[in-house]
Amino acid sequence: MNNELTLITPELIIASAICLLILVNSFLTTEKRYTGLIIGSITMATCALISLVFLIETTNSSIFNNHYKIDHFSTGLKFTTYLISLFIFIGTKTNKENTKSELVLLELFAILGVSILASSNNLLTLYLGLETLTLSMYGLVASKRSSEIATESAMKFFILGAIASAIFLYGVSFIYGLHGTLFFDQFNNETINNSIEMQLALAFIICGIAFKFGAVPFHSWVPDTYQGASTSSALFISTIPKLGAFALIYRLLYEAFIANVGFWSLLILLLGLLSLILGNIIAIAQDNLRRILGYSAVGHIGFILIGLSIGSIDGAIAALAYLVIYILMTATAFMSIEVISTEKRAVVTLTDIKDLNSTHPWISLIMLFSMFSMVGIPPFIGFYAKWIILSELINSDMLVIALIGIIVSVIAAFYYLRIVWYMYFEKNELPIMKGSPNIFQKTSISLVGLSVLLLGLYPSPIINFCRSIISPFLLID
Amino acid sequence: MIIDQLIWIPILTGLVVLVLGDKRSNLSYSLSLVISSALFFLSIYMYLLFDNTLASYQFELKVPWIDRFNINYHLGIDGISLPLIMLTTFLSPIVIFTAKTSPKNKMHQYIASFLILEGMMIGVFSSLDAFLFYVFWEAMLIPMFLIIGIWGGKNRIYATIKFFLYTFLGSVFMLIAIIYLYMKTGSYLISDFYEVSLSLNQQILIFLAFLFAFAVKIPMWPVHTWLPDAHVEAPTGGSVILAAILLKMGGYGFLRFSLPITPDASLFMAPIMITLSLIAIIYIGLVALAQTDMKKLIAYSSISHMGFVTLGSFVFFIQSGSMDLNTINLAISGAMIQMISHGLISAALFLSIGVMYDRLHTRDIEDYGGIVTKMPKFSVLMVFFALSNAALPGTSGFVGELTVILASFKVNIYIALLSALTLIIGAAYTLWMIKRVIFGAVTNEKINSQSDMKLIEAIPLSLIAFLILLIGVWPKPLTDTMNATILSLSYLVGG
Repeated sequence: MNNELTLITPELIIASAICLLILVNSFLTTEKRYTGLIIGSITMATCALISLVFLIETTNSSIFNNHYKIDHFSTGLKFTTYLISLFIFIGTKTNKENTKSELVLLELFAILGVSILASSNNLLTLYLGLETLTLSMYGLVASKRSSEIATESAMKFFILGAIASAIFLYGVSFIYGLHGTLFFDQFNNETINNSIEMQLALAFIICGIAFKFGAVPFHSWVPDTYQGASTSSALFISTIPKLGAFALIYRLLYEAFIANVGFWSLLILLLGLLSLILGNIIAIAQDNLRRILGYSAVGHIGFILIGLSIGSIDGAIAALAYLVIYILMTATAFMSIEVISTEKRAVVTLTDIKDLNSTHPWISLIMLFSMFSMVGIPPFIGFYAKWIILSELINSDMLVIALIGIIVSVIAAFYYLRIVWYMYFEKNELPIMKGSPNIFQKTSISLVGLSVLLLGLYPSPIINFCRSIISPFLLID
Repeated sequence: MIIDQLIWIPILTGLVVLVLGDKRSNLSYSLSLVISSALFFLSIYMYLLFDNTLASYQFELKVPWIDRFNINYHLGIDGISLPLIMLTTFLSPIVIFTAKTSPKNKMHQYIASFLILEGMMIGVFSSLDAFLFYVFWEAMLIPMFLIIGIWGGKNRIYATIKFFLYTFLGSVFMLIAIIYLYMKTGSYLISDFYEVSLSLNQQILIFLAFLFAFAVKIPMWPVHTWLPDAHVEAPTGGSVILAAILLKMGGYGFLRFSLPITPDASLFMAPIMITLSLIAIIYIGLVALAQTDMKKLIAYSSISHMGFVTLGSFVFFIQSGSMDLNTINLAISGAMIQMISHGLISAALFLSIGVMYDRLHTRDIEDYGGIVTKMPKFSVLMVFFALSNAALPGTSGFVGELTVILASFKVNIYIALLSALTLIIGAAYTLWMIKRVIFGAVTNEKINSQSDMKLIEAIPLSLIAFLILLIGVWPKPLTDTMNATILSLSYLVGG
């Protein structure tokens, strides 16, 4: 068998699963079908296993004429993506309302996009992955067809996303014009790298990245889509594409354009600070639970970008650790919302979770874990995310940035506490809603929720994992 | 190993209680009472094993935790932490015991919060690794936030959010300081921080960062405003733990971090610290005089009494000439005794107010009067606690305050005179409250129908009263435990 094809087994499996799903769906017409769930989960489980094997076997190679790269970073990121997707599938798709297999189809496309992004070694491959990811996200947001808000937010998302992609491509065309190549390892002409045109091109590219990440000032789609999309889609959109965006930033800035680190780190720092401050402050004024989570995502992205702006390997490790931890926390929050929503009454605003502690003590405890974790209170995992970024900032003499970050975290604490306050302190006079989660949902939310606590008690695995995929050679010490 | 058990047994019991659920809250109640009392005896056992003559850490336990950053799960106790741990293990069963006196919704969550809180508080007092210390320090906010927010009074949400944000803002600066010290030393071990050489400017910045955290916790004027709110709204048990133990963490922090890590900055900042302490002692004492709410009055009295802790921790720095080790020793011992003593007295006072509140559902002094006619036994204890709050000789309150005042006399007679004003102000606000609440004619009709305190209320109060008397007449067991450690601390600060 061809060695090059062996290395992309996970991608091939996902692509085949997509074809299979399309085929099967055209013969099944009933609404309540679990084909998506079954095929999706099996695919993700297999792919996660395979990439774990690759990760242990330390495969490092460039394939397809150097267009595609299999290294620790790509396999590690793919492994994370597949594992989280598996939890998302089991946690949400077992709910009767989310069985439409188009959703799984679109999500598999997005996962394929992330995989390609993570492995790309060429601007074209990268763009291919990026668009596969983004286009399926538009579909995911729009999939709640009956809802006006969903359609509106999908439309907004699409228009803004198309503009962002165009800006990104414009930057890429500059790069090609300047360097005459699209391969990441060939942008090493010093004169060109120092030219003003190069900086312009980078600025365009960073605009594109910022949009994918949802950083201020390209953030307006984030709260809208979180609000408009169905809970399971929102859960997906808030987690997996962020991994793709991280791959984008790592491949482009840390590998392709590392020569211009002085320039791009400033831009990223600016975007990070803006996202951190604005995201967290606007979130205080929100009453809609999903919008709160949307703005909170913008704030967390701010922290991640600040970590990346350090421009060192340690900064990237810290940022990746923050991202993985953020995904765990968000997944916990959205899964909780999903679990307590019923067909008749979706959880939308803060009043919908009033006195949740009386009806769903376990779910509200897990939501509490997630909220205190997002505030950054130990022993929850979110504390280590903030601490590791702060450590790297202080290590790089960016004390002022660290102080801003930490003061904003205190301000942000208020709106997370408000969610806890509604769940625990308010008395509910309305008839109590009764979501009845099934055993799969309960298991996956308990696993994810407990991981927020248990990984907080022993965070070494996450830190070491992120270190091993970004700087595998440092692992020996 | 014993410390490890003291931390994790209550936390695990708390989790078990949560799992048992609301329906089995009677079982949970008995279970937690037995376990927390057993923990108290375990801590007595630890006290007996403790070697008074050693200044070093004892019962050390060190396990690698986060290798990448050289962080260890590192526990151990010395003469400063042992009394505070004993105070915690003594008061926790009492708080759980009194949980039954007033009916509560979701009793199991209430008990679980206190159990988890107990483990975390012991963790704060026994962490030798700064990172671990911070983890416990912050984690403790969560159960306290829930205790005030769920079982508090009318204005509880405002009070608990204010409490959380205030203390959180204070402690994040400490985190920055701890990370900075790690960058300097390559270790999170607190005793490694003692040896790092820092310029005066660096020391002052680190001192300020720690000061933010500790000043809010103690609390010092002018960052004390969260305390009266939190105290008034918290349920009785919450007030007890808040006043008796949480406030002591600020004082403990000064002795464990600020003084030994940044002695030069402490010297530099001492005049400011002493001024703030005197403002707390005198001004806040006068504020207490004006209160109409009993809990608020005791809250302000707490701030005023904690002023002695900060005064004792810093007063020796302004000695003329070279620093006298005996004075340092005396002042720090005074601060420590004052912490333990205030822990007992404030706990007793809040419990007593709880006893009255459960009967009349009001905290306003105006609504009371003539309690002694219907509740004579209770009044005896209440008057005793009030007198110890006013530093009556023979009670622990007297020992603590007198030691600090004596140390101040050696340094500067004006500071001593000013701080001694508390003997008048303290007596004024406590006795005046007692006069209006306990004595006088019965003005509120409801009082006539009240019965004296029940056994379940009398047991904890009598236990605390016994300890207050014991330390008042025979403080030796307490001071002997601390001496060696305080002496070595004095060398670190003054040597």
